Amino acid sequence: MTQESKWEPKLLGFLCRWCSYAGADLAGTSRKKYPANIRIIKVPCSGRVDSLFILKALRLGFDGVLVSGCHPGDCHYQTGNYRARRRIAITKRFLEYLGVEPQRLQASWVSASEGGKFTEVVTDVTRGLKEVGPNQLFERRKDGAKAKAGSKGTARAKKG
Amino acid sequence: MEQKLRQEAKALLEQKRVDWIIGFTPGSLKFTTTPLITRDKADTERLVINPFITNNLANFLTEIKGRVGIVAKGCESRSIVSLIQDNKVAREDLVILAVPCPGIIDLAKIERLVGKDRDELDDVSRDGDKVSVKVDGKKKDFAAADVLFDHCLACELPTPQEYDIILGEPRPPAPDLKVSGQNIAELKALTPAERWASWENELSRCIRCYACRNVCPACFCQRCFVEETEPQWTLPMPQWQDNLIFQIIRNIHVAGRCTDCGECERVCPVNIPLRSLTREMYDTVDELFKFKSGMDKDALPLMAHYEQEEAEDFFK
Repeated sequence: MTQESKWEPKLLGFLCRWCSYAGADLAGTSRKKYPANIRIIKVPCSGRVDSLFILKALRLGFDGVLVSGCHPGDCHYQTGNYRARRRIAITKRFLEYLGVEPQRLQASWVSASEGGKFTEVVTDVTRGLKEVGPNQLFERRKDGAKAKAGSKGTARAKKG
Repeated sequence: MEQKLRQEAKALLEQKRVDWIIGFTPGSLKFTTTPLITRDKADTERLVINPFITNNLANFLTEIKGRVGIVAKGCESRSIVSLIQDNKVAREDLVILAVPCPGIIDLAKIERLVGKDRDELDDVSRDGDKVSVKVDGKKKDFAAADVLFDHCLACELPTPQEYDIILGEPRPPAPDLKVSGQNIAELKALTPAERWASWENELSRCIRCYACRNVCPACFCQRCFVEETEPQWTLPMPQWQDNLIFQIIRNIHVAGRCTDCGECERVCPVNIPLRSLTREMYDTVDELFKFKSGMDKDALPLMAHYEQEEAEDFFK
Protein backbone atom coordinates (compact mmCIF):
# COMPACT_ATOMS: atom_id res chain seq x y z
CA MET A 1 0.00 0.00 0.00
CA THR A 2 1.40 3.41 -0.87
CA GLN A 3 1.63 6.17 1.65
CA GLU A 4 -0.92 8.33 -0.15
CA SER A 5 -3.73 5.85 0.13
CA LYS A 6 -3.15 5.59 3.87
CA TRP A 7 -3.17 9.34 4.37
CA GLU A 8 -6.06 10.75 6.32
CA PRO A 9 -6.31 14.45 7.09
CA LYS A 10 -5.72 15.55 10.65
CA LEU A 11 -8.14 18.24 11.69
CA LEU A 12 -7.80 20.23 14.87
CA GLY A 13 -11.05 21.53 16.29
CA PHE A 14 -11.26 24.37 18.79
CA LEU A 15 -14.75 24.03 20.23
CA CYS A 16 -16.32 26.44 22.66
CA ARG A 17 -17.38 24.73 25.84
CA TRP A 18 -20.87 26.17 25.96
CA CYS A 19 -22.18 25.39 22.49
CA SER A 20 -20.03 23.52 20.01
CA TYR A 21 -18.45 21.14 22.50
CA ALA A 22 -21.89 20.27 23.81
CA GLY A 23 -23.01 19.91 20.20
CA ALA A 24 -20.20 17.44 19.57
CA ASP A 25 -21.22 15.64 22.74
CA LEU A 26 -24.79 15.45 21.53
CA ALA A 27 -23.63 14.05 18.18
CA GLY A 28 -21.86 11.33 20.15
CA THR A 29 -24.70 10.50 22.54
CA SER A 30 -27.20 10.41 19.69
CA ARG A 31 -24.83 7.99 17.92
CA LYS A 32 -24.35 10.14 14.86
CA LYS A 33 -21.32 9.29 12.75
CA TYR A 34 -18.72 11.88 11.95
CA PRO A 35 -15.17 11.46 10.62
CA ALA A 36 -12.64 10.51 13.27
CA ASN A 37 -10.20 12.94 11.64
CA ILE A 38 -11.04 15.68 14.10
CA ARG A 39 -9.06 16.11 17.32
CA ILE A 40 -10.93 18.33 19.68
CA ILE A 41 -9.60 20.94 22.07
CA LYS A 42 -12.16 22.43 24.39
CA VAL A 43 -11.80 26.19 24.82
CA PRO A 44 -13.82 28.42 27.16
CA CYS A 45 -15.08 30.51 24.24
CA SER A 46 -14.39 30.84 20.54
CA GLY A 47 -13.03 34.27 21.48
CA ARG A 48 -10.21 32.46 23.28
CA VAL A 49 -8.79 31.20 20.00
CA ASP A 50 -5.74 33.24 19.18
CA SER A 51 -4.50 33.36 15.58
CA LEU A 52 -1.29 32.02 17.03
CA PHE A 53 -3.05 28.74 17.95
CA ILE A 54 -4.10 28.34 14.34
CA LEU A 55 -0.63 29.03 12.98
CA LYS A 56 0.96 26.76 15.57
CA ALA A 57 -1.39 23.93 14.62
CA LEU A 58 -0.51 24.30 10.95
CA ARG A 59 3.18 24.52 11.87
CA LEU A 60 2.90 21.29 13.84
CA GLY A 61 1.49 19.57 10.78
CA PHE A 62 -2.27 19.59 11.25
CA ASP A 63 -3.91 19.64 7.85
CA GLY A 64 -6.68 21.93 8.91
CA VAL A 65 -8.13 23.89 11.80
CA LEU A 66 -11.79 24.29 12.67
CA VAL A 67 -12.92 26.97 15.08
CA SER A 68 -16.46 26.58 16.29
CA GLY A 69 -18.51 28.59 18.72
CA CYS A 70 -22.00 29.71 19.63
CA HIS A 71 -24.25 31.38 17.09
CA PRO A 72 -24.01 35.19 17.01
CA GLY A 73 -26.02 36.56 19.90
CA ASP A 74 -25.78 33.33 21.91
CA CYS A 75 -22.32 33.76 23.41
CA HIS A 76 -22.16 32.84 27.08
CA TYR A 77 -19.91 35.85 27.55
CA GLN A 78 -22.09 38.10 25.37
CA THR A 79 -19.50 39.19 22.84
CA GLY A 80 -16.81 36.51 22.62
CA ASN A 81 -17.93 35.02 19.32
CA TYR A 82 -18.27 38.44 17.68
CA ARG A 83 -14.64 39.13 18.56
CA ALA A 84 -13.65 35.69 17.34
CA ARG A 85 -15.42 36.42 14.08
CA ARG A 86 -13.38 39.55 13.42
CA ARG A 87 -10.16 37.83 14.32
CA ILE A 88 -10.80 34.72 12.27
CA ALA A 89 -12.00 36.78 9.32
CA ILE A 90 -8.74 38.70 9.06
CA THR A 91 -6.64 35.61 9.83
CA LYS A 92 -8.39 33.63 7.12
CA ARG A 93 -8.09 36.39 4.54
CA PHE A 94 -4.46 36.98 5.39
CA LEU A 95 -3.51 33.30 5.23
CA GLU A 96 -5.24 32.96 1.88
CA TYR A 97 -3.31 35.96 0.62
CA LEU A 98 -0.07 34.33 1.73
CA GLY A 99 -0.91 31.14 -0.11
CA VAL A 100 -2.61 28.88 2.44
CA GLU A 101 -5.51 26.95 0.88
CA PRO A 102 -8.83 28.37 2.15
CA GLN A 103 -9.98 24.90 3.26
CA ARG A 104 -7.32 24.76 5.96
CA LEU A 105 -8.96 27.30 8.23
CA GLN A 106 -12.67 26.84 8.74
CA ALA A 107 -15.14 28.26 11.19
CA SER A 108 -18.68 27.39 12.14
CA TRP A 109 -21.44 28.22 14.53
CA VAL A 110 -22.79 25.08 16.20
CA SER A 111 -25.16 25.30 19.14
CA ALA A 112 -25.52 22.72 21.92
CA SER A 113 -28.63 21.29 20.26
CA GLU A 114 -27.10 20.91 16.82
CA GLY A 115 -25.47 17.48 16.99
CA GLY A 116 -26.55 16.90 13.40
CA LYS A 117 -25.01 20.12 12.21
CA PHE A 118 -21.75 19.24 13.95
CA THR A 119 -21.47 15.96 12.03
CA GLU A 120 -22.24 17.81 8.80
CA VAL A 121 -19.61 20.46 9.45
CA VAL A 122 -16.90 17.94 10.33
CA THR A 123 -17.77 15.77 7.32
CA ASP A 124 -17.72 18.79 5.07
CA VAL A 125 -14.42 20.17 6.40
CA THR A 126 -12.78 16.74 6.22
CA ARG A 127 -13.90 16.34 2.63
CA GLY A 128 -12.41 19.74 1.81
CA LEU A 129 -9.11 18.73 3.41
CA LYS A 130 -9.01 15.49 1.45
CA GLU A 131 -9.34 17.58 -1.70
CA VAL A 132 -6.42 19.86 -0.88
CA GLY A 133 -4.21 17.06 0.39
CA PRO A 134 -1.60 16.93 3.15
CA ASN A 135 -0.34 20.10 4.76
CA GLN A 136 3.15 20.67 3.40
CA LEU A 137 3.19 24.38 4.05
CA PHE A 138 6.00 24.34 6.55
CA GLU A 139 7.76 21.28 5.20
CA ARG A 140 9.63 22.52 2.18
CA ARG A 141 12.93 23.06 3.85
CA LYS A 142 15.79 25.09 2.59
CA ASP A 143 18.12 25.00 5.56
CA GLY A 144 20.33 21.93 5.52
CA ALA A 145 19.89 20.62 9.05
CA LYS A 146 16.14 20.65 8.87
CA ALA A 147 16.05 19.07 5.43
CA LYS A 148 17.96 16.10 6.82
CA ALA A 149 15.64 15.78 9.79
CA GLY A 150 12.69 15.91 7.41
CA SER A 151 13.98 13.14 5.19
CA LYS A 152 14.73 10.98 8.23
CA GLY A 153 11.18 11.47 9.36
CA THR A 154 9.80 10.27 6.06
CA ALA A 155 12.10 7.27 6.03
CA ARG A 156 10.84 6.26 9.45
CA ALA A 157 7.24 6.75 8.39
CA LYS A 158 7.76 4.56 5.36
CA LYS A 159 9.32 1.79 7.44
CA GLY A 160 6.44 1.84 9.90
CA MET B 1 8.91 75.96 8.55
CA GLU B 2 12.03 74.95 10.42
CA GLN B 3 12.35 78.37 12.12
CA LYS B 4 8.72 78.29 13.19
CA LEU B 5 9.16 74.78 14.57
CA ARG B 6 12.18 75.86 16.63
CA GLN B 7 10.34 78.88 18.03
CA GLU B 8 7.24 76.90 18.87
CA ALA B 9 9.19 74.06 20.45
CA LYS B 10 11.23 76.49 22.53
CA ALA B 11 8.11 78.33 23.63
CA LEU B 12 6.42 75.07 24.63
CA LEU B 13 9.33 74.14 26.86
CA GLU B 14 9.68 77.65 28.30
CA GLN B 15 5.99 77.91 29.13
CA LYS B 16 6.21 74.43 30.66
CA ARG B 17 3.35 73.25 28.48
CA VAL B 18 5.36 70.15 27.74
CA ASP B 19 8.11 68.22 29.49
CA TRP B 20 9.61 66.75 26.36
CA ILE B 21 10.06 67.62 22.72
CA ILE B 22 10.35 64.84 20.17
CA GLY B 23 11.60 65.84 16.75
CA PHE B 24 14.29 65.27 14.16
CA THR B 25 17.90 66.37 14.16
CA PRO B 26 20.59 65.76 11.50
CA GLY B 27 22.11 62.30 11.71
CA SER B 28 25.80 61.47 11.72
CA LEU B 29 25.69 60.30 8.10
CA LYS B 30 24.91 62.37 5.04
CA PHE B 31 21.23 62.82 4.21
CA THR B 32 20.04 61.19 7.38
CA THR B 33 18.13 62.41 10.39
CA THR B 34 17.86 60.92 13.80
CA PRO B 35 15.13 61.34 16.41
CA LEU B 36 15.80 64.01 19.00
CA ILE B 37 14.14 63.59 22.37
CA THR B 38 14.93 66.44 24.69
CA ARG B 39 13.82 68.54 27.63
CA ASP B 40 16.56 71.13 27.14
CA LYS B 41 15.33 74.24 25.32
CA ALA B 42 18.78 74.92 23.84
CA ASP B 43 18.40 71.67 21.90
CA THR B 44 15.41 73.01 20.00
CA GLU B 45 17.88 74.90 17.79
CA ARG B 46 18.96 71.53 16.42
CA LEU B 47 15.47 70.55 15.23
CA VAL B 48 15.13 70.14 11.47
CA ILE B 49 12.48 69.48 8.86
CA ASN B 50 13.84 68.19 5.55
CA PRO B 51 12.98 65.53 2.97
CA PHE B 52 14.84 62.88 5.00
CA ILE B 53 12.79 62.77 8.19
CA THR B 54 12.09 59.06 7.94
CA ASN B 55 11.36 57.72 11.42
CA ASN B 56 7.89 57.39 12.84
CA LEU B 57 8.30 59.34 16.08
CA ALA B 58 5.04 58.06 17.56
CA ASN B 59 7.07 54.98 18.47
CA PHE B 60 8.61 56.85 21.42
CA LEU B 61 5.38 58.08 22.95
CA THR B 62 4.65 54.87 24.81
CA GLU B 63 8.06 54.98 26.49
CA ILE B 64 8.01 58.58 27.66
CA LYS B 65 6.31 59.78 30.81
CA GLY B 66 4.98 63.32 30.99
CA ARG B 67 3.60 65.79 28.50
CA VAL B 68 5.14 65.67 25.08
CA GLY B 69 5.41 68.04 22.14
CA ILE B 70 5.83 65.90 19.08
CA VAL B 71 6.68 66.74 15.49
CA ALA B 72 4.21 64.83 13.33
CA LYS B 73 3.94 64.15 9.64
CA GLY B 74 0.68 62.66 8.38
CA CYS B 75 1.75 59.09 9.11
CA GLU B 76 2.89 59.93 12.63
CA SER B 77 -0.36 61.69 13.35
CA ARG B 78 -2.25 58.57 12.35
CA SER B 79 -0.08 56.43 14.58
CA ILE B 80 -0.66 58.89 17.41
CA VAL B 81 -4.42 58.76 16.89
CA SER B 82 -4.21 55.00 16.90
CA LEU B 83 -2.34 55.09 20.23
CA ILE B 84 -5.02 57.42 21.62
CA GLN B 85 -7.70 54.93 20.55
CA ASP B 86 -5.86 52.22 22.43
CA ASN B 87 -5.49 54.39 25.55
CA LYS B 88 -1.72 54.20 25.30
CA VAL B 89 -1.38 57.98 25.37
CA ALA B 90 -3.76 60.72 26.42
CA ARG B 91 -4.59 63.46 23.94
CA GLU B 92 -4.29 66.15 26.63
CA ASP B 93 -0.68 65.12 27.31
CA LEU B 94 0.28 65.85 23.73
CA VAL B 95 1.05 68.96 21.75
CA ILE B 96 1.15 67.89 18.13
CA LEU B 97 3.30 70.05 15.85
CA ALA B 98 1.94 69.18 12.43
CA VAL B 99 4.22 69.06 9.41
CA PRO B 100 2.38 68.93 6.07
CA CYS B 101 4.54 66.33 4.39
CA PRO B 102 5.37 66.30 0.69
CA GLY B 103 6.82 62.80 0.94
CA ILE B 104 10.15 61.44 2.14
CA ILE B 105 13.04 60.72 -0.19
CA ASP B 106 14.14 57.11 -0.44
CA LEU B 107 17.93 57.16 -0.77
CA ALA B 108 17.95 53.56 -1.93
CA LYS B 109 15.96 54.58 -5.00
CA ILE B 110 18.37 57.43 -5.73
CA GLU B 111 21.32 55.05 -5.36
CA ARG B 112 19.72 52.74 -7.90
CA LEU B 113 18.99 55.57 -10.34
CA VAL B 114 22.39 57.22 -10.08
CA GLY B 115 24.37 54.03 -9.64
CA LYS B 116 26.40 55.49 -6.79
CA ASP B 117 26.53 54.93 -3.07
CA ARG B 118 24.87 57.56 -0.90
CA ASP B 119 28.27 58.60 0.50
CA GLU B 120 29.36 59.61 -2.99
CA LEU B 121 26.47 62.01 -3.56
CA ASP B 122 27.31 65.67 -3.01
CA ASP B 123 23.85 67.02 -2.54
CA VAL B 124 20.21 66.01 -2.73
CA SER B 125 17.57 68.72 -2.72
CA ARG B 126 13.86 68.86 -3.32
CA ASP B 127 11.99 71.58 -5.16
CA GLY B 128 8.31 70.87 -5.66
CA ASP B 129 7.95 67.87 -7.95
CA LYS B 130 11.62 67.84 -8.78
CA VAL B 131 14.51 66.28 -6.88
CA SER B 132 18.00 67.40 -7.84
CA VAL B 133 20.98 65.19 -7.13
CA LYS B 134 24.48 66.59 -7.38
CA VAL B 135 27.08 63.97 -8.09
CA ASP B 136 30.67 64.40 -9.37
CA GLY B 137 29.97 68.10 -9.87
CA LYS B 138 27.06 67.36 -12.22
CA LYS B 139 23.41 67.99 -11.43
CA LYS B 140 20.76 65.42 -12.25
CA ASP B 141 17.03 66.01 -11.96
CA PHE B 142 14.48 63.35 -11.15
CA ALA B 143 10.74 63.45 -10.80
CA ALA B 144 9.80 63.32 -7.12
CA ALA B 145 7.53 60.34 -7.83
CA ASP B 146 10.58 58.30 -8.83
CA VAL B 147 12.56 58.82 -5.66
CA LEU B 148 9.97 59.01 -2.86
CA PHE B 149 9.20 56.03 -0.65
CA ASP B 150 6.47 53.78 -2.05
CA HIS B 151 4.24 54.40 0.93
CA CYS B 152 4.54 58.16 0.42
CA LEU B 153 3.30 57.78 -3.14
CA ALA B 154 0.10 56.29 -1.76
CA CYS B 155 -0.21 58.63 1.22
CA GLU B 156 -3.80 59.28 2.19
CA LEU B 157 -3.03 61.86 4.82
CA PRO B 158 0.01 64.07 4.16
CA THR B 159 -1.26 66.71 6.59
CA PRO B 160 -2.19 65.56 10.08
CA GLN B 161 -5.88 65.69 10.91
CA GLU B 162 -5.23 65.90 14.60
CA TYR B 163 -2.88 68.69 15.63
CA ASP B 164 -2.37 71.71 17.86
CA ILE B 165 0.08 73.80 15.87
CA ILE B 166 0.46 73.55 12.12
CA LEU B 167 3.72 74.45 10.43
CA GLY B 168 3.05 75.36 6.81
CA GLU B 169 0.23 74.94 4.34
CA PRO B 170 -1.93 71.78 4.33
CA ARG B 171 -1.30 69.41 1.42
CA PRO B 172 -3.74 67.24 -0.57
CA PRO B 173 -3.59 63.42 -0.50
CA ALA B 174 -1.42 61.63 -3.06
CA PRO B 175 -3.12 61.55 -6.47
CA ASP B 176 -2.72 57.85 -7.12
CA LEU B 177 -3.47 55.73 -4.09
CA LYS B 178 -3.23 52.50 -6.07
CA VAL B 179 0.42 52.97 -6.99
CA SER B 180 1.84 51.18 -3.98
CA GLY B 181 -0.27 48.09 -4.57
CA GLN B 182 1.84 46.88 -7.47
CA ASN B 183 3.73 44.21 -5.56
CA ILE B 184 0.50 42.93 -4.11
CA ALA B 185 -1.20 42.75 -7.51
CA GLU B 186 1.76 40.78 -8.83
CA LEU B 187 1.59 38.38 -5.90
CA LYS B 188 -2.13 37.91 -6.28
CA ALA B 189 -1.68 36.91 -9.91
CA LEU B 190 0.36 33.88 -8.75
CA THR B 191 -1.10 30.57 -7.61
CA PRO B 192 -1.35 30.06 -3.83
CA ALA B 193 1.56 27.62 -3.89
CA GLU B 194 3.74 30.09 -5.77
CA ARG B 195 2.79 32.85 -3.36
CA TRP B 196 3.70 30.72 -0.39
CA ALA B 197 6.99 29.78 -2.03
CA SER B 198 7.77 33.43 -2.64
CA TRP B 199 7.22 34.21 1.03
CA GLU B 200 9.35 31.24 1.98
CA ASN B 201 12.03 32.68 -0.23
CA GLU B 202 11.75 36.21 1.19
CA LEU B 203 11.52 35.18 4.82
CA SER B 204 14.43 32.76 4.62
CA ARG B 205 16.61 35.89 4.55
CA CYS B 206 15.20 37.15 7.85
CA ILE B 207 17.80 37.29 10.61
CA ARG B 208 15.23 37.95 13.34
CA CYS B 209 16.80 41.24 14.37
CA TYR B 210 13.26 42.44 15.24
CA ALA B 211 14.00 45.88 13.82
CA CYS B 212 10.57 45.82 12.15
CA ARG B 213 8.93 45.25 15.49
CA ASN B 214 11.02 47.72 17.45
CA VAL B 215 10.51 50.56 15.02
CA CYS B 216 6.76 50.03 14.84
CA PRO B 217 4.57 52.41 16.85
CA ALA B 218 1.71 49.88 16.71
CA CYS B 219 3.86 47.10 18.22
CA PHE B 220 3.70 48.18 21.84
CA CYS B 221 3.34 44.89 23.73
CA GLN B 222 5.41 44.79 26.89
CA ARG B 223 6.38 41.25 26.07
CA CYS B 224 6.30 39.92 22.54
CA PHE B 225 5.01 36.42 21.81
CA VAL B 226 8.23 35.51 20.02
CA GLU B 227 10.12 35.92 23.26
CA GLU B 228 7.74 33.77 25.29
CA THR B 229 9.38 30.60 26.49
CA GLU B 230 6.40 29.08 28.33
CA PRO B 231 4.90 28.10 25.95
CA GLN B 232 7.43 28.65 23.24
CA TRP B 233 5.34 29.63 20.24
CA THR B 234 8.17 30.05 17.79
CA LEU B 235 11.82 29.17 17.87
CA PRO B 236 14.05 32.21 18.32
CA MET B 237 16.56 31.07 15.73
CA PRO B 238 16.01 32.33 12.23
CA GLN B 239 14.43 29.66 10.10
CA TRP B 240 11.89 30.63 7.52
CA GLN B 241 8.93 28.80 9.02
CA ASP B 242 9.21 30.62 12.32
CA ASN B 243 10.15 33.88 10.63
CA LEU B 244 6.99 33.67 8.58
CA ILE B 245 4.85 32.87 11.60
CA PHE B 246 6.40 35.86 13.38
CA GLN B 247 5.48 38.16 10.50
CA ILE B 248 1.97 36.74 10.09
CA ILE B 249 1.15 37.09 13.76
CA ARG B 250 2.79 40.50 13.98
CA ASN B 251 0.58 41.70 11.16
CA ILE B 252 -2.53 40.22 12.73
CA HIS B 253 -1.65 41.83 16.07
CA VAL B 254 -1.28 45.27 14.53
CA ALA B 255 -4.35 44.94 12.30
CA GLY B 256 -6.40 48.07 12.82
CA ARG B 257 -3.39 49.86 14.30
CA CYS B 258 -1.00 49.61 11.39
CA THR B 259 -1.28 52.75 9.30
CA ASP B 260 1.01 51.40 6.59
CA CYS B 261 3.72 53.96 7.41
CA GLY B 262 6.30 51.69 5.81
CA GLU B 263 8.84 51.91 8.64
CA CYS B 264 9.19 48.11 8.95
CA GLU B 265 10.15 47.79 5.32
CA ARG B 266 12.56 50.71 5.49
CA VAL B 267 14.51 49.39 8.46
CA CYS B 268 14.68 45.78 7.29
CA PRO B 269 18.40 45.04 6.86
CA VAL B 270 17.72 42.23 4.38
CA ASN B 271 15.10 44.10 2.33
CA ILE B 272 12.10 41.86 2.90
CA PRO B 273 9.12 43.53 1.17
CA LEU B 274 7.14 43.82 4.38
CA ARG B 275 4.79 46.43 3.00
CA SER B 276 3.28 43.75 0.79
CA LEU B 277 2.04 42.29 4.08
CA THR B 278 1.08 45.46 5.91
CA ARG B 279 -0.66 47.05 2.95
CA GLU B 280 -2.71 43.93 2.30
CA MET B 281 -3.77 43.79 5.94
CA TYR B 282 -4.62 47.48 5.87
CA ASP B 283 -6.81 47.00 2.79
CA THR B 284 -8.44 43.85 4.20
CA VAL B 285 -9.41 45.64 7.40
CA ASP B 286 -10.82 48.51 5.39
CA GLU B 287 -12.76 46.19 3.09
CA LEU B 288 -14.20 43.90 5.77
CA PHE B 289 -14.87 46.35 8.56
CA LYS B 290 -14.76 49.78 6.91
CA PHE B 291 -12.00 50.68 9.34
CA LYS B 292 -9.08 52.92 8.52
CA SER B 293 -6.54 52.96 11.30
CA GLY B 294 -5.58 56.23 12.89
CA MET B 295 -8.24 58.40 11.31
CA ASP B 296 -10.71 59.03 14.12
CA LYS B 297 -9.48 59.39 17.68
CA ASP B 298 -12.92 58.69 19.15
CA ALA B 299 -13.42 55.42 17.25
CA LEU B 300 -13.14 52.18 19.19
CA PRO B 301 -10.10 50.02 18.39
CA LEU B 302 -10.82 47.46 15.66
CA MET B 303 -10.47 44.39 17.83
CA ALA B 304 -12.35 45.83 20.80
CA HIS B 305 -15.43 46.39 18.74
CA TYR B 306 -17.87 44.49 16.52
CA GLU B 307 -21.03 44.84 14.49
CA GLN B 308 -23.96 42.44 14.78
CA GLU B 309 -23.67 41.45 11.15
CA GLU B 310 -20.35 41.41 9.35
CA ALA B 311 -17.76 39.07 7.80
CA GLU B 312 -20.17 36.18 8.08
CA ASP B 313 -19.84 34.60 4.63
CA PHE B 314 -17.27 31.93 5.44
CA PHE B 315 -18.94 30.59 8.58
CA LYS B 316 -20.53 27.20 8.15
